Amino acid sequence: MTTEIHHCKECVDLLGEYIEGTLPPDRAQALEDHLSLCPPCITFVRTYKATRKLCRHALVRDMPRELMHSLSSFLAERVPGFSCSESDKSAASVAPAADTAPKKV
Amino acid sequence: MAPEEPRADGQPGDRELVEKAQKGDGTAFATLVERHQRQLYRLALRMTGSEADAQEVLQEAFLNAYQKLPLFRGEAQFSSWLYRIAANSALMRLRRKRRAPDALADQPLELAGPKFSAEGYLEPTSSSDWSQRADERMMSGQLGAAINKAVEQLPDDYRTVFLLKDVDGLSNEDIADALDLTVPAVKSRLHRARLALREKLGEFFDEPAK
Repeated sequence: MTTEIHHCKECVDLLGEYIEGTLPPDRAQALEDHLSLCPPCITFVRTYKATRKLCRHALVRDMPRELMHSLSSFLAERVPGFSCSESDKSAASVAPAADTAPKKV
Repeated sequence: MAPEEPRADGQPGDRELVEKAQKGDGTAFATLVERHQRQLYRLALRMTGSEADAQEVLQEAFLNAYQKLPLFRGEAQFSSWLYRIAANSALMRLRRKRRAPDALADQPLELAGPKFSAEGYLEPTSSSDWSQRADERMMSGQLGAAINKAVEQLPDDYRTVFLLKDVDGLSNEDIADALDLTVPAVKSRLHRARLALREKLGEFFDEPAK
């Protein structure tokens, strides 16, 4: 048996857990029942999901290759037996000295 | 240490590599570094807000992890243990710059969110559907600038949680460990940050196209 959701505010409060799939099944069912009757909440869910998608697209950052190389060089000088990957070695050999010089911690 | 699940890629798991590294296998440690450096970089970048600081945090964190490896007993995931070391390093760096998150707790919290009627129903201003237009304008420079501005306006501790979760894909548990929060606190900040950003994006899409 599910506890009904009567108001949009309750629906919005549960949304984070709902879209992550961590809402208990009875609450998820109650939320879906509310959505089936409430167009503003359907719109809200769409824009909530779109917010995550747009932000991820705009803000995702990967680790720069130069930083991987300098980290490998730094650790290779301090950790016995630490070996850079082949790609790091070849990139380090052509990278400018300033990029590969280990930094003091 | 308890046995671990095999990896989908057939490579040795973290625990196996940690055990080898604890016996002095530098190559095993190098594999651990290669495996976790991207996520650690994102954590350091999100916490410090600076590429140069992130680089130094990363160096310090991995070196600390190596030195503390004999103390790692496997009670937690190796990645969580590593995040915690990196987060501590980032926090120390922030404190040295007098930008510790301790001070952020006093920041006024002015997060926007949807508006409801007294009965708890969504106000019409909160229900404009711009999601269809989002894909069309995904590549727009104006949208990118609006997103950056909106994210910058979030209080620091909400922004960090949001970026780590929704942009970088860390788990709630790893974020909680790294930032010394409870999982419910992570979920709450995340949800409030999303609601605030959704409002800002709604304002952007409701403006006439420039």
